[in-house]
Amino acid sequence: MPVVAPLSGDTSSSGSIVPFSPEVSNHSVVYPLRHGLKPPIARLSISWSRGNTLRVSVLRKSFDDGEAGGKVVEVRLGNGDAEISDAQWRRIAYGSVTPFALLQNRRSSISSLSKMSISPPHYHVNWWEYVMEYSKDIGSLLGNPKSPSGTVIEDRREVVKTVEEPTCSKAAWELMEIFYADKQSQPWLPERLVDWLTDYDCLLSSTQTTVHSKLVGFQKELASLQLIEDDPKYWEVMSSALAIGWLELAVKMLRLHGSYELDQLGNRETENGLVEAVAVLISNLPRMRLELAEGKLGECYKAKPDFMKAWEKWRVQITKLDSSAFWVHCDHLQTREGLKNMLQIMLGSTNSLSAATCHWVELYVSHLLYIRPFTVGLESMYSLAQKCMQLKPMSGAHKLIGLMVGILGENTEVVLAELSRSFGPWMVAHAIELLTAGSDQAEVLLHEERDNLGEISIAELHRLVYAQLLASHVLTWQIAPVYLISCMKQGLGLLEILLYKQPVQHNEMLLKNIEICRLYDLDSVNSNIKKIAGVYHWKHGRKGAGVFWLQQARDEVRLNRIAKHLFDSVGKSISDESFKQWEGLIELLGSESKTAGGLEFLHKYRDFKKSLKQVHTGKTTDAARQAAELLISLMKNPSTPQQFWLPLLYDSLKLLNWQERPLLSVSQTNLLLNKLQELSMARLRPDFVEVDLPPQALNSVRLALATNLGRVVGRHRSPSVCRTETCPHSFPSKHGLAKRRISFSVVEDFKSVYLLYICLIPAYVSENPDDMRESCTGDFCCV
Amino acid sequence: MEKSLVDLDNGTTCSSWNYSGQRLAAGSVDGFLSIFDSRDPAASSSFTCTSKSRSYLAQLACLCPLLNARDREEAEGEVHETGIVKVVWTPPEFGDSVACVCADGTLSLWEEVVEGTNSIPNLHPFSRHSRNYLGNTQPLQWKLCKSFKSNSSQVLDVQFGVSLSGLKMVAAYSDGHIRVYELLDPLELKNWQLQVWEFDQAHQRWLPVAELALPDNKGDQVYSVAWAPNIGRPYEVIAVATHKGIALWHLGLIPDTDGRLSVEQVAVLSGHRGEVWQMEWDMSGMTLATTGSDGKVRLWQSNLNGVWHEQAAFEPTT
Repeated sequence: MPVVAPLSGDTSSSGSIVPFSPEVSNHSVVYPLRHGLKPPIARLSISWSRGNTLRVSVLRKSFDDGEAGGKVVEVRLGNGDAEISDAQWRRIAYGSVTPFALLQNRRSSISSLSKMSISPPHYHVNWWEYVMEYSKDIGSLLGNPKSPSGTVIEDRREVVKTVEEPTCSKAAWELMEIFYADKQSQPWLPERLVDWLTDYDCLLSSTQTTVHSKLVGFQKELASLQLIEDDPKYWEVMSSALAIGWLELAVKMLRLHGSYELDQLGNRETENGLVEAVAVLISNLPRMRLELAEGKLGECYKAKPDFMKAWEKWRVQITKLDSSAFWVHCDHLQTREGLKNMLQIMLGSTNSLSAATCHWVELYVSHLLYIRPFTVGLESMYSLAQKCMQLKPMSGAHKLIGLMVGILGENTEVVLAELSRSFGPWMVAHAIELLTAGSDQAEVLLHEERDNLGEISIAELHRLVYAQLLASHVLTWQIAPVYLISCMKQGLGLLEILLYKQPVQHNEMLLKNIEICRLYDLDSVNSNIKKIAGVYHWKHGRKGAGVFWLQQARDEVRLNRIAKHLFDSVGKSISDESFKQWEGLIELLGSESKTAGGLEFLHKYRDFKKSLKQVHTGKTTDAARQAAELLISLMKNPSTPQQFWLPLLYDSLKLLNWQERPLLSVSQTNLLLNKLQELSMARLRPDFVEVDLPPQALNSVRLALATNLGRVVGRHRSPSVCRTETCPHSFPSKHGLAKRRISFSVVEDFKSVYLLYICLIPAYVSENPDDMRESCTGDFCCV
Repeated sequence: MEKSLVDLDNGTTCSSWNYSGQRLAAGSVDGFLSIFDSRDPAASSSFTCTSKSRSYLAQLACLCPLLNARDREEAEGEVHETGIVKVVWTPPEFGDSVACVCADGTLSLWEEVVEGTNSIPNLHPFSRHSRNYLGNTQPLQWKLCKSFKSNSSQVLDVQFGVSLSGLKMVAAYSDGHIRVYELLDPLELKNWQLQVWEFDQAHQRWLPVAELALPDNKGDQVYSVAWAPNIGRPYEVIAVATHKGIALWHLGLIPDTDGRLSVEQVAVLSGHRGEVWQMEWDMSGMTLATTGSDGKVRLWQSNLNGVWHEQAAFEPTT
């Protein structure tokens, strides 16, 4: 899985790039990693950060010398293109998202249409137009299309305008566009190459002399030249410009000829006539192309027959001039020879072309212009290129030339390798769209799944590599998903990892992450991110935010744990402040997560507790009645944990003992008594959780309940109290007050209450509820 | 080309970045656990120390929280300070927490919480340089929440893993055992249960499913092992470092009838002289970074034909 990315450091500071070591070499380049620590170094430790960022901890041996103990340094594996600054590169990265996504959408809609068996060729016809649109959009991001060398400008003596240098990326992109995407211009390919060289010849000057660099050199001398036509350099650079098709420049330079000077015209009429004749011939060069930009010289012919006719006619004119008698009357030797040489160039003399050009690409272009203007088909173009390379061997490798050779040689692998080696992951990921449009063979090569790559295609691999580069920077990682979702096999896997590694502390970032998850249906990582945020906030004291995010994550395990934490406060008297906090949490917990066990109870308990608080402050019977209803509903509810029964009742003692009138009915009281009974059975079990309550709690509740029952019974003279009997047994009492026969009432409808009743009210003999109160001294015993 | 991020104190023995690369935990020879944070999380350019806690004092406090000041001083004198040899972050779903392996073989778990949410009492007087990096009114603190100590064997290494049932902690002990602990409450790092079995529920034991060694190399000392993240490959990639080099293995995902997984050694990378200390895969599993006793960091990648090679190396210099 080649990442084939050269390395760069923190490009934001210097933009320096570590030179790339070719893949083929067995020994990789060793880069220094400056840490500034005093040796010796005891240990290194490594960690990958975002994307392609590697962090290295350098640790010193521990000395008491006051020096730092270690340092962490960060190395970024670069984007591979040194000529583009970081900020510029980000602008390109952002700008290419829309064209890329649009093209992917078109691709997928076409493939879905072709699945519906609509004939694919029809769409293929449109396809290259889409690719061309994409290519134009991307190309426009790479810099100013204005060519620096070809433009003739106003200043009479300024031959070459110095404008902002074009970038190699732009040149590479245009080259690929010419060969792969622009199917419409295929018949005019040679002319497009001429244009290309006009725009980018200056870039080739970085490794060797070119026509452009010669022109620039001559321009410096120009100001000091008196008789320009005496200088052999004048004729040399002019021929060179002509040879590679810079017609405007050649004509402009010709007209700097001294014979044009007003005071000279008389003496040098013939000479001037010859110069002007050559200038006119240059201006009339027939060119097979669609159109010419304004100010460009030559005659346009769209169709081959028309062009051929014009071409022959033009050559006849040159031959005529070449053999005319006027040359004899031209006294100026340099002019005569210079002009003759220019005619030879136009006639396609191999020697003259070779002498006039520097770089083999220049020679190549001159051949296309003057010898073989009909060269079509990559095979013949490639053999011509090879011939030119033999004639003019290169003095140093140039990344554009490597790319061009790959393109002409129809070798997609070479093109890809050159692109990734010299232009970096951005270029490869985007250029693959051009390459696949170029030929079916390239399409198969790049989209075929490979075992070596883990069953992904080369195209997908390079998108992954580019996405990882995007992920390296905090300002670009957000656009990585666009590329990752276009990867059928491994894109989503990498996207999930990428999203998981984003920090959650900042809400804005968090929301952004979640939005991306939602957009691409990444449910599992979506809930993971929310979970991480929830735990983060919970542990850092923002309980509300914690619960909120855990709920968003539907993390029932953690919500249940939180609910359990909240249980700890049940039945305890807590301050108003913490009650509010507690209440807020329950509010949050209850709002959505119905399924979380115990939450229903907490919700009900919250209502009850609130109501109870009102009772404590307001003391109205209505409030108390409401609280009592809530208590019953809590106790009835199966979700109320058993461990809280007693705390709840103990908390409600005031309700049970309500002075004004009993608040609970007979059946309600019996329900509560039943619960107490159940509780005393449950306590025998080993797993019973004892709640922290005062020791007399149980007794107080029992007494209150019994009292309440008695009061209700007495009050209503309920017919259900059918008889009063005396117990045949005696019951022992702690205080020795019992051991006597006691009377009790039997409430027939409530068998289960029976025993409790008699236990609780040992002295109950009367049916008068007021008597009962007095007799209930809390002195009772259990059965 | 390199950018300096953090200055570490004298005596730092180990360091570890958290999941997002925004926090660094560092352990030192005198038992300090330091946490470094970036002031501007967007830039993550410079990191400063935001918390420093001394592990043995906290352990002491954890063990005997009710000591008064004088007793504590005496106890301090008796407890030997011990260095931290390894720091590992827990997965972020379990909070901002780290496990520290100490030189004396103890393992301690620390987490950052707001004061009062952790029930271990009386810790803060010991935390000498605790500062709240978010500027909250409630101070954040790194607190010890669990300490694993054994008289018979020492913890040598520790790793965390998230499974469906929750967080698992795997600790390697000096007696040759691996112990797997499972966290009982996902919100509290205090309660761990030692698991006797795992993986193969039917047999309640671990089963070997593959062996990553050629017949000649069995018995070689393994320096380090690293699993590549799998973003969708039909096989796992595992790097195993021995004195013979770094072997890269492909491990099939589907077991055969005996429950074994197919293995294939796809490369042996030589370059490091001496021991390989650490191997780390990048997020896509395409690049392996390694470091070792030769003092270099090396990057390994495969080309389009699946041939692995050294892509670059770094040599630390002053």
